Amino acid sequence: MLRLPRALPRLSLLSILVALVPAVFALDAASAPPTVSRTLDDYRHFRTVAIDLTGRAPTREEIAATERADWNLDHWIDGHVTGPGYVERLTRIYMDLLRLEPNLTFSDPPAQLFRASIAGPDGKPMYVFYRGGQRRPREATDADFCLSPDETGLVIRPGAEAVGTPKKVPQKLLDQYTMLVKPWWLYKDYKSWTPSQLYGAGWPNPDPEYRPVEGLLSEPDGKPTTAVRVCKEEAQGMDVGHVYASGRKPPGAPAPAVKPGPGKPALPVNGKPGAPAPPVSGKPLAPAKVVAPGSTSQHALPNGAPAMPAPMGSMAAAAAPALAGTPSKFPGGRLKAAPVDSKYAMEHAGEAVECATRMGLDYAVDCGCGVGLERCEPSTGFNFDSPAFYYPNHMPLGPGMPLDEARQPASRWFPYWWSREAVRLLGDLFQEDRDFREILTGHRTFVNGPLSQFYRIVQRGNCCGPEANFGMKTEMEPLFDPKNVPPDLEPTDVGTWKMVADRGPHSAGLLTTPMFLQKYASARARGAVLYNVFMCKSFISDKAELLPSDEPNLTIRPGCATCHATLEPLAAYFARVEPASFVFLPEAEFPARNPTCKKDRNGHLNGPCNALYDVAFADDHGAMLRSAYSSPAHADETPAGAGRDITQTPEFAQCAVQQVTSSFLGRPISPDDDTLVRGLTSDFVKSGYRMRTLVKGIVRSDSYRKANNMSSTTWRGAP
Amino acid sequence: MVPPSAPLPLVANGVAAEDTARKENLRMVPPEVYMRTYLQLFGGLLPVDAQKRAKAGDGGSVFDSWDDYVSALGFPDYRFDIPRQTQTNALMVAAFERLGIALCDRALEHDLKGKAPLPVQDRLIFAFDLPKGTVDAKAFGPRFDVLHRTFLGYPAALAPPQRTARFFQLYRDLVSEHAKTSPKSRFTPDEAGWAGVCYGLVRHPEFHLY
Repeated sequence: MLRLPRALPRLSLLSILVALVPAVFALDAASAPPTVSRTLDDYRHFRTVAIDLTGRAPTREEIAATERADWNLDHWIDGHVTGPGYVERLTRIYMDLLRLEPNLTFSDPPAQLFRASIAGPDGKPMYVFYRGGQRRPREATDADFCLSPDETGLVIRPGAEAVGTPKKVPQKLLDQYTMLVKPWWLYKDYKSWTPSQLYGAGWPNPDPEYRPVEGLLSEPDGKPTTAVRVCKEEAQGMDVGHVYASGRKPPGAPAPAVKPGPGKPALPVNGKPGAPAPPVSGKPLAPAKVVAPGSTSQHALPNGAPAMPAPMGSMAAAAAPALAGTPSKFPGGRLKAAPVDSKYAMEHAGEAVECATRMGLDYAVDCGCGVGLERCEPSTGFNFDSPAFYYPNHMPLGPGMPLDEARQPASRWFPYWWSREAVRLLGDLFQEDRDFREILTGHRTFVNGPLSQFYRIVQRGNCCGPEANFGMKTEMEPLFDPKNVPPDLEPTDVGTWKMVADRGPHSAGLLTTPMFLQKYASARARGAVLYNVFMCKSFISDKAELLPSDEPNLTIRPGCATCHATLEPLAAYFARVEPASFVFLPEAEFPARNPTCKKDRNGHLNGPCNALYDVAFADDHGAMLRSAYSSPAHADETPAGAGRDITQTPEFAQCAVQQVTSSFLGRPISPDDDTLVRGLTSDFVKSGYRMRTLVKGIVRSDSYRKANNMSSTTWRGAP
Repeated sequence: MVPPSAPLPLVANGVAAEDTARKENLRMVPPEVYMRTYLQLFGGLLPVDAQKRAKAGDGGSVFDSWDDYVSALGFPDYRFDIPRQTQTNALMVAAFERLGIALCDRALEHDLKGKAPLPVQDRLIFAFDLPKGTVDAKAFGPRFDVLHRTFLGYPAALAPPQRTARFFQLYRDLVSEHAKTSPKSRFTPDEAGWAGVCYGLVRHPEFHLY
């Protein structure tokens, strides 16, 4: 009945049992050493320690072992402050405090593939994958599905069911605008010239944790999927594309001097990139001008939307009222006009742009999903809630011990792995008994295949929108430098975890992980959780009367200052990490006070400035980076500075001791515990902030032994 | 009408020592510990395997699915910022009961109702031989001690004085009730008696607190 997973994770029950049921417990009555009688308190104390250090109640054999004359609790403790139960116990404390699991979705437009069902040449349904907002040379399909409503009979757009009556799409048209690709989620060897290791047929030993949903494995007629049909632009494999200008100018704009963009997309696909790609540089491919203050049109995106991309749902909403078949004034029967050229596109047409970035999707017709579609994630429907992979809903006992397995939306794939990364990071800290300060300062982490795909490629799609106007067209100083990602992990290697010794100079323990930055999406939320969890302090408002005020500086506004005088400088450490994101804004391009972002004569900042700089702290000479106003110095110190500064405070060690001690005692720490906490803190600091020292000190303390100090007369009167 | 008067001094009726020692509440066993212990008692199974065995597909309906119990057992849900429960509640106690009965019944089937007798060392919970004939207090004691150690972590001899006697009475009552006219049960009266003792221990407050 007991099935062993292929790679049983560190915290699995089996490993706990293996660690805790050594052969010494197999007592033979004839040769058993002499026993001694223990008191009820002895048994209870052992049960308590066993529960805390092994993660379960002791077995009969373990209890019998304690009755041997040569058994020693201290030795037993020494042997159990290292095992998986101990690691899980400590991890649980900080997971309870930080709650690093996602109730969020992550659907990066450049990375998200949707799937449409159209009528093939024989009239039978067939699937075609596409990206929302993909730029295409044809006006009839630019930023829409690659076949027009006139060609398919359907209005196809992300976020909503297709509308219309499907009509047969001739093979010639299909071949012209779509192509077949053997994608990474179906082929282990998707990078080879002729992929042959199909999932379920030829893929040697697929990871048991990697399970695409059935919908990705079969065609509408039920036959197994061996290749997927993808819009041709999405199927392109190059790393670098070019800014495309269609020649469609915005209403009222002067005639642009358009350099022709590449008209035809280059050929893809598996291991066969089309045109040779220009070299990729970590620096911007061409300097961009910071938009002049007062301008109102420079920050428009190609589709005429504001600089910050509109959510997918808004595209669907715009198209929803109309039906296919309704006479349309737009080419191909599309329901809305094709995007016009932004000023940026007109000025930079033909310039190179990295395909993995947001700009690759927004500005280039020759940027696709890469070889084997490795820059994109599949889904089985028209929105990012469509299922893609199986993984557990509940896994409270850790990896390898799921309570279930469910079809999960594509948009939860990466958040799921972010959480696993955070747990790994904590587990490593406690397993290896590393300096606990690394929780806020460490550079290392652990990645598996999906995380490798994320850090190498997908995270780059977060950038760059308004940032491009400041010269950042691709992330220049990412929190996790893609160069440091292990190169030999494939997206489907879900069970293979590799240590990354150094994520990059801006990395800072948990603080720069996507899980932390998305869970605590704003700079203030990030600062507040540090204050609560790592300094054991709370924000308590004073009794000041809240009078109407237009004072933007909350550190001095009456009624707000009590908390915000502390919170704002903490939040400032995170000013360089964009809210609800992990795009890092380097100091050179985004100075804390930017003299190019000035108020115009109407008191406004221009769009890109407004997205990143705070108009409340702007004047005629410049503006302050959002969240930085209370402490520009902290902003420049970045989250790494927060980690360094907090771990250097005396509160940090004392707070760690309080959090762990409180958890082991099962009650809040009170002033009665001052002596205990002082002693434990002193030992903890002397040991180099090692949790093992702290836990040994706690479980050997008198307070712990008496933590369930109810005499037998007050013990529950159950029979 | 009672006229006002000076208060009378309180009369001492006795002297009692005041216990000023700090008292601590017992802690609830964390749900992770409960579940690991449960799985270990089930033979070291993975959760999905334990669920399969507990459901068994025999129409017993003694177990639903872990997903149905996970919040009732007090697990936190970090996704929704739901903290862990640190005190029991009615729903949790009901979940303990249902899970406990599933464990005892399936363990009894595994340990005592196999086609061939299972060696004692291979038994999950009932790691003793069932005596032939009527079980008296003398025969009950050591077997109860095995179960007591299994669930509560210490010898029955150290428990409150009446515990073994009360559980023996429970056993006898169950055997006697079960022996009445054709109860619809897959257990013999003896087996039902031992299952009942198991129910009592797996739901005992000492099993859920520490």
